[in-house]
Amino acid sequence: MQIGSNMKMAEVIHLNYQLLPILSRFGLHLGFGEKTIEQLCSEHDIDMNFFLVILNAYHDKKFFPHRHLKGFPLSLIISYLRKSHEYFLTVKIPRIDRLLEKLSPGGDEATTGSLQLIHRFFDEYCQELSEHIRREEEKVYPYAFMVEEAFFSGNPRPGVLEVIREYSIDDYESEHDNVEDKLNDLQNIILKYLPPTLDLNLCHALLNEMFRLESDLNDHARIEDKVLVPKVKLMEKVLLEKERR
Amino acid sequence: MESVRLILADPYTLSRLGLTTLLNRMRYRFQVREVVSPEKLGSLGAKDAGCLFLVTSSFLSKCPSCLLGELKSKSRPAAFLLIRDSEDIPDSGISFSETIYMTDSDKIILRKLEKVAALVSRKSSHDSQNEELSDREKDVLRLVALGMTNREIGEKLFISAHTVITHRKNITAKLGIKTIAGLTMYALINRLIVPEEIHFNHD
Repeated sequence: MQIGSNMKMAEVIHLNYQLLPILSRFGLHLGFGEKTIEQLCSEHDIDMNFFLVILNAYHDKKFFPHRHLKGFPLSLIISYLRKSHEYFLTVKIPRIDRLLEKLSPGGDEATTGSLQLIHRFFDEYCQELSEHIRREEEKVYPYAFMVEEAFFSGNPRPGVLEVIREYSIDDYESEHDNVEDKLNDLQNIILKYLPPTLDLNLCHALLNEMFRLESDLNDHARIEDKVLVPKVKLMEKVLLEKERR
Repeated sequence: MESVRLILADPYTLSRLGLTTLLNRMRYRFQVREVVSPEKLGSLGAKDAGCLFLVTSSFLSKCPSCLLGELKSKSRPAAFLLIRDSEDIPDSGISFSETIYMTDSDKIILRKLEKVAALVSRKSSHDSQNEELSDREKDVLRLVALGMTNREIGEKLFISAHTVITHRKNITAKLGIKTIAGLTMYALINRLIVPEEIHFNHD
């Protein structure tokens, strides 16, 4: 079922509560009463079409209206991506960290050792994730903005085309995999190979958080790969072709 | 692409053709065997174990229950799917994972087929994976965890780098762990290596 502008916000969340984190990325609070998406968007000055695309893309993995996406300005897309980065780093990761902290072993040496290993592995994963995010925010997004500016100005600043020829947005598309693999490994180790002496409820909570983080990261990566990358790629192509003529 | 073995038990040419057309539109590759009459069920055997069994209700109504019993015990299909093409559903004693109706739209039929095919393909890939690591794989894993390259591992174990890669693929498939850091953690938790060894190797 596709989410439309005349649906009530509360209805949407009842339909799929996994969409909750998206609300804060658009600056929406709870307490929306009977208001529809359209009403809320006009009240909060939110680009409704973009909001709908994000909701639907997270709700239904197969949903992808290529037609619409190309039309959104980069600033809209990137501001959304930055907000979700912030959410990963300031909400999700600390939450998992706290759970790992709580999982203090009651018993033997082997369990203690395993737990320390897991914690260290998770720390490494976090470092990689923040590094990846930092690279996106400091390199990839400014590059995308530069391409957009050159595209609309019609008269690119000197040097810009050289940068585009050197670096392509394609280079960054392939970078997602390793971070995902690590999270997946961690889940499998906790699920399959941890000694069964640990607090079961805490382990479940931990896995739950990790699976949520994983699916949120996947959705996020899908927006990057299916919206941001094709859009920038298209502008790169036009700019380089124009130059050749 | 994943391949699914499928047996299509249906006496009618037209519906067999229709189903085959739909099957070709799916992401799975099907190896289809057609059975047009109950007497031909006898040609199925143990080699068909784990297949997906599609049967129409008109086929079932012509089929003596003893033949069905034999099918279940001898070739043990992984899942059954019923296609309701007639009014009567004979009591076959089979529990069907899904039922397709003649009034279903192509979308719905595809979705149902997809669901059952996923069930069967998961079952068969699971069978090949739930083994323990072999001793040789443990050797390889130990050296991977210590940070050695494929070439170094090959030299140490007197096997080619190519064989090392094959072992690593199997290890990853069996454990569900891809990264070197993950494999190291597994090796440590399971005491295939001790932490001191890693330090020694890095220095």
